[in-house]
Amino acid sequence: MKNIMGIIYTGERDDQLRELTANRAVAAVPIAGRYRLIDFPLSAMVNSGIRNVGVIAQKNYNSLMDHLGSGREWDLHGKRSGLVFLPPFLTKENVGVYSGFLDALHSNLHYLRRSKERYVVITDTHMLFNARFDDMVAAHEASGADITLMYTRDPGVRRNGLGRYLNVEAGGKVTGMEIDPTIPRLPCTYLETLCVRRELLISLVDQSVSRGEYHLTRGLLMSAIYDGSLNIRGYENPGRAWQLDSVQSYFDCSMDLLNSEVRNGLFPADRPVLTKLRDEMPTRYIHGAKVKNSLIADGCIIEGTVENSILFRGVRVGKGAKVQNSIVMQDGIIEANAEIQHCILDKQTTIQKRTRLIGPRTYPIVLAKDLTI
Amino acid sequence: MLRKKRCVAMLLAGGQGSRLGILTKNMAKPAVPYGGKYRIIDFPLSNCSNSGIDVVGVLTQYRPLELNAYIASGAPWDLDLVDGGVFVLPPYQTGASGEWYKGTANAIYQNLAFINQYNPDYVLILSGDHIYKMDYAAMVAHHEKHNADATIAVRQVPWEEASRFGIMNTDGDDNIIEFEEKPKNPKSNNASMGVYVFTWEKLRKYLTEDEADPKSSNDFGKNIIPKMLADNQRMVAYSFNGYWKDVGTIESLWEANMDLLAEVPEIDLHDKKFRIYARNLGLQPQYIAATAEVDNCLITEGVEVRGDVKHSVLSSACLVEEGAHVSDSVIMPGAVVKTGAVVKRAIVAENAVISENACVGEDTGLIAVVGPGATVPAQGVVKAGEQFAEG
Repeated sequence: MKNIMGIIYTGERDDQLRELTANRAVAAVPIAGRYRLIDFPLSAMVNSGIRNVGVIAQKNYNSLMDHLGSGREWDLHGKRSGLVFLPPFLTKENVGVYSGFLDALHSNLHYLRRSKERYVVITDTHMLFNARFDDMVAAHEASGADITLMYTRDPGVRRNGLGRYLNVEAGGKVTGMEIDPTIPRLPCTYLETLCVRRELLISLVDQSVSRGEYHLTRGLLMSAIYDGSLNIRGYENPGRAWQLDSVQSYFDCSMDLLNSEVRNGLFPADRPVLTKLRDEMPTRYIHGAKVKNSLIADGCIIEGTVENSILFRGVRVGKGAKVQNSIVMQDGIIEANAEIQHCILDKQTTIQKRTRLIGPRTYPIVLAKDLTI
Repeated sequence: MLRKKRCVAMLLAGGQGSRLGILTKNMAKPAVPYGGKYRIIDFPLSNCSNSGIDVVGVLTQYRPLELNAYIASGAPWDLDLVDGGVFVLPPYQTGASGEWYKGTANAIYQNLAFINQYNPDYVLILSGDHIYKMDYAAMVAHHEKHNADATIAVRQVPWEEASRFGIMNTDGDDNIIEFEEKPKNPKSNNASMGVYVFTWEKLRKYLTEDEADPKSSNDFGKNIIPKMLADNQRMVAYSFNGYWKDVGTIESLWEANMDLLAEVPEIDLHDKKFRIYARNLGLQPQYIAATAEVDNCLITEGVEVRGDVKHSVLSSACLVEEGAHVSDSVIMPGAVVKTGAVVKRAIVAENAVISENACVGEDTGLIAVVGPGATVPAQGVVKAGEQFAEG
């Protein structure tokens, strides 16, 4: 039993994913054919031996709750610990909307106090990567740091201004941070993931909020890095990482996953990514189907052409239909002779017979849930 | 004292299924993979779950490890309950004695105490040998409506095959008047499906009497059913018209898999109202590469196809490399077909490896089988009807 607990913050900014986050938290955005974004940090925590995971919800957490359920799919439905869902609630000081992550943690101090683990790993869900949190905590323990920040040097990670960047010295000390710069100057991309001793976190949250500081990164971490009040070190996560801060980056990330080497890096065989089950039957490729370079979940029935695309569970592609460079989420229907290119179809959308929907490569068309075109 | 149940199911899963050859060398027949992501036992267990039967005893005996591990808590079938659930029931010792299950009836007899705990009105007897979707609740209702002592599910089979089955001859009103085990000249084509509903009190009495008879072979078909008929007990047939396939032989297991590739398969596994559940392995979606040709196939999670696959079933986490050709075959979980290999009319069992340029099966003739974990060497040949178990 590892002495680590996990906290996943799902209240981050969600406006850049347009229709995909209209009715769901970023954490609940479907990805890679059968997953939601939160499956990645959650599974990585479980695979790191973490058995106590708090999920801090902010808004639109209905689909997130539905997805997580009792935590059974992640073996987090135990008696001693497991999944703890932490939705916002009204108090005298709090109106239900958190002013920042520290505020959210402050509202859930009772949970932090009640937990028994020595270390806390905190992460959020708009970055996609597979991490070994146990290795990070081991490094944290060995280095004697107060706080350890996880970062990546993956050259493929999007650095377009929206993001947090770090300067990490050769010895591991974090000496600089910048937030949302137009042109990032610091070489490392912060993965919005840190580890800290639980007792220290409780006192930092308490002190900060009592001084009116509600923001973890741009408040607490930023000032501690520059005034040296805390020993903050970096831990490099090997492997690929994606910043999902726009529809385009979501689309590009999805297309990256069609590469087997990239995909197998995100889904290591010894650290499986777990998700909610649907008990779909295997996918049927009917005579006449043409499928190339595509990632396909169970429960689909394919009679048409599918190229360079991702089909989620239960998608139907009719005879003569063409799906190219597109992402079709759960239960989408592409009727006979319809054609889509560079499209992202949210759940349960239908493209009717002979309809053509061709998006430009650089600005994929996004169809909101339940639409029929 | 547990709460009373209307109906308790007992699933006979102890048989070896020796006609499946090397496929059941290391596992009981009900644990044999089917249809890409299922095992045979998923069908009776899911049927129970979908029929509202929430106490299921699974009687194991032959090589139970895979089956025990697969069933575990019963969660995949919603059978991990506070009030009921699935229970694996192996033979056990009592004091100085103790014995194996001598026959199907003896297996139930040895578990009288298990059934008595629930004081059920009815007991449903199932086997783990068939692929079918059946609402057992309707059958129990039929049993109740006819005030029967025993109800036997029957299915019309082609006349020419009738002599391979236990045949139930009925009067015009579903009453069974005669039972013939594998008759040379069948009088009807109503074959027993091996699915029985008994009124528990009656069955308990007959099981106890049967156990006391040293000449009995303690079998439902050979002893219990004929004895009840001879005693003029109320025996009723329940006709079932859906898809039902015995998967007791290599050929029939292969055929049952191929049935899923029909334009409109006779068994609908897409039906959301009657799901067949299976234990999930948490694999990534299937990947069909740019080099792949996939035509009329059933493919599931964790599979990677880079070669040419026609009219085949590819199970969890198997891999078909570029330049490999697979047709009319069943590739079971974790198997690998390497570059240049050709697999035709074959069953490739779990984790088997077909090395480069090997050739398994032929265009005609019997089905070729590569056993669990076996490796067919490069350029190796496995002929039609052959069972390859080395490596």
